[in-house]
Amino acid sequence: MEKPIVTFANWGNYTVIFKTLFKELGVEVLPPEKTNPNAITEGAKLAPEMFCFPMKVNLGNYLSAIEKGANTIFMATASGGSCRLRYYGVIQDKILKEAGHKTDFIVFDQAIGDIYSKIKEISGASLYQILKVFYHFYRKLRFIEELERRTQYLRPRETEKGLTDKILAESISKIDNLKNEKEFPKVKKKILKRLSEIKFNKNKELPRVGLIGEIYTVCDPVVNFEVEKKLGKEGIEVHREMDLSYQLKKKIFFKDFFIQRKIKPYLGSTVGGHGRDAIYEMLKYAKDGFDGVIHLLPAMCMPEVTVRPILEKLHQEYQIPFLSLSLDEQVAEAGIDTRLEAFVDVVKNYHARKKT
Amino acid sequence: MKIGIPRALIYWKRPSFWESFFENLGFEILLSPKTNKEIIEMGVKNSDQENCFSNKVYFGHLIWLDGKCDLIFIPRLKTNEEKLEYCPKFFALPDLAKILVKTKILTETFDERKEKFGKSLEKLGKKLDKRGKETKKAFAFALSKERELREKQEKNFLKRIKSKNEKIVLISHPYNLDDEYVNLRVKERLEKLGAEAIFINEIPNSGFQIPNPKLPKFHWEFGKEIMEKIEAVLKYKIDGAIEISSFACGCDAVLKEFIEKKFKENKIPFLYLIIDEHTGEAGFQTRLEAFLDTLK
Repeated sequence: MEKPIVTFANWGNYTVIFKTLFKELGVEVLPPEKTNPNAITEGAKLAPEMFCFPMKVNLGNYLSAIEKGANTIFMATASGGSCRLRYYGVIQDKILKEAGHKTDFIVFDQAIGDIYSKIKEISGASLYQILKVFYHFYRKLRFIEELERRTQYLRPRETEKGLTDKILAESISKIDNLKNEKEFPKVKKKILKRLSEIKFNKNKELPRVGLIGEIYTVCDPVVNFEVEKKLGKEGIEVHREMDLSYQLKKKIFFKDFFIQRKIKPYLGSTVGGHGRDAIYEMLKYAKDGFDGVIHLLPAMCMPEVTVRPILEKLHQEYQIPFLSLSLDEQVAEAGIDTRLEAFVDVVKNYHARKKT
Repeated sequence: MKIGIPRALIYWKRPSFWESFFENLGFEILLSPKTNKEIIEMGVKNSDQENCFSNKVYFGHLIWLDGKCDLIFIPRLKTNEEKLEYCPKFFALPDLAKILVKTKILTETFDERKEKFGKSLEKLGKKLDKRGKETKKAFAFALSKERELREKQEKNFLKRIKSKNEKIVLISHPYNLDDEYVNLRVKERLEKLGAEAIFINEIPNSGFQIPNPKLPKFHWEFGKEIMEKIEAVLKYKIDGAIEISSFACGCDAVLKEFIEKKFKENKIPFLYLIIDEHTGEAGFQTRLEAFLDTLK
């Protein structure tokens, strides 16, 4: 058998830690190119027409890496869920084979036992090694999420425009180029120091907007046309609860049970994916006195489309500004920008009116 | 008391069952009329743009019933007796209906992973002040009615599968096949063109439960059912297959890949049609005619 060269789908800033995860296990990795319009077009050509958007982006990502010689694809699915993510692995495998690519698929269920046995199979690493690697993975994951949260706060307040984003990009590439895990604490300190040097206006009271919706589109700035950055530039503080560690915690702490209790008057059951979470988050933001909520979803995403009428009802009940953006390969950035601009005006007016 | 049932989507999963059940309990039933243009227009106007066509039709029926009855019955179907899930869009129907209509909604969750169907029915009966005994009787009555219908269908199928005309299997969900207006009377059209249209849900369940390693294990009841029935129908001589999908149906995007592959492997011509509120009759007819021409 050929030596496996692993590739995977791009996912925002998390991409770099997936890369090092495999590297540390001694598996050869070929990370995909950053998601770009070309990759999306190529992916959309292969994918079934009515399939949801993330699949099209994923396929585009794989193609760029396959061209360079990758032969094994790593894909995480949710085997317990009710939505289409469950079939991502099988369908992608089928499509790539039909397109004439000889690639293997490693499909991960979101279960610890399954992940362990599959990693063991491809890398041959010992349990201790695997645990260590996952500890490193989680450490970096938390740090990246902390960085993202800090930038959400700093972006609208910074005195030198664009500095925060520059430092974020630098930090991510520093984490990417980390040669030895032992250096991580040092690098982390350095990055935090750089961040603390950013001058910002502390006492500014800004309108706050919550981002809710499907995890992939919410967390990947390329796919959502950098919504966070654009809002930040307009002087809006962005909040987002949905991220990878939220998802991991949900699995461990039975968070679904508590979420269901909170949203009972609006929805009596799961609808798959993160449908319930969207309602729960919107309720939370509305009660916390936020000035707006943006709902991001891949076009025709089953769970998110199902709950959207409920979100709209919340929007009417609490009178909180609400914008829902469906994303797919046909959406143009200019269109999204126009809608965002209009939304920003609404949010600012709402915020100003609330103060008086 | 009058109970309204929308004649769309989940109704077609078990036609006759709910009517006979409630009628046996002594309630008056109001079925929404067969799908028509106004119903579709109402549904399209009042539902989320990106929702699937079948859901839009359902909401149209729901709005038609609004104000015409005391209760509207919308079960929350989650899993069937094989513990396989229904489409996730069914899970939220009662909640979405509450937003759309003013009439009170009668609902009960049917999740056989947690509770037997009969037990859930008893709970439903209690909501209507009926004792367990009465519900049980009504349940048995509804089941026997359903069985009668099923037997008639199977007899009909065995007769038609021997037909000398070109036999074409129509694959879709029951709510697309049994609703004439939604599928643009595809059966009538095919028959006029001299073919025999066989619906996938008419094919008797003959227990083809051999696990197929080539297929993923479907967690959707219709996924498993359709694939099994295709296996069953392939035993007969079939000339062509047509799959009909509602626009924006997420489940069909997955299923289609496997259905198409199956027929291609067996060298049976396959046509894929998508229906929605904009589907034009002329274009639909042309595609059917062209497909039948390729069979000759």
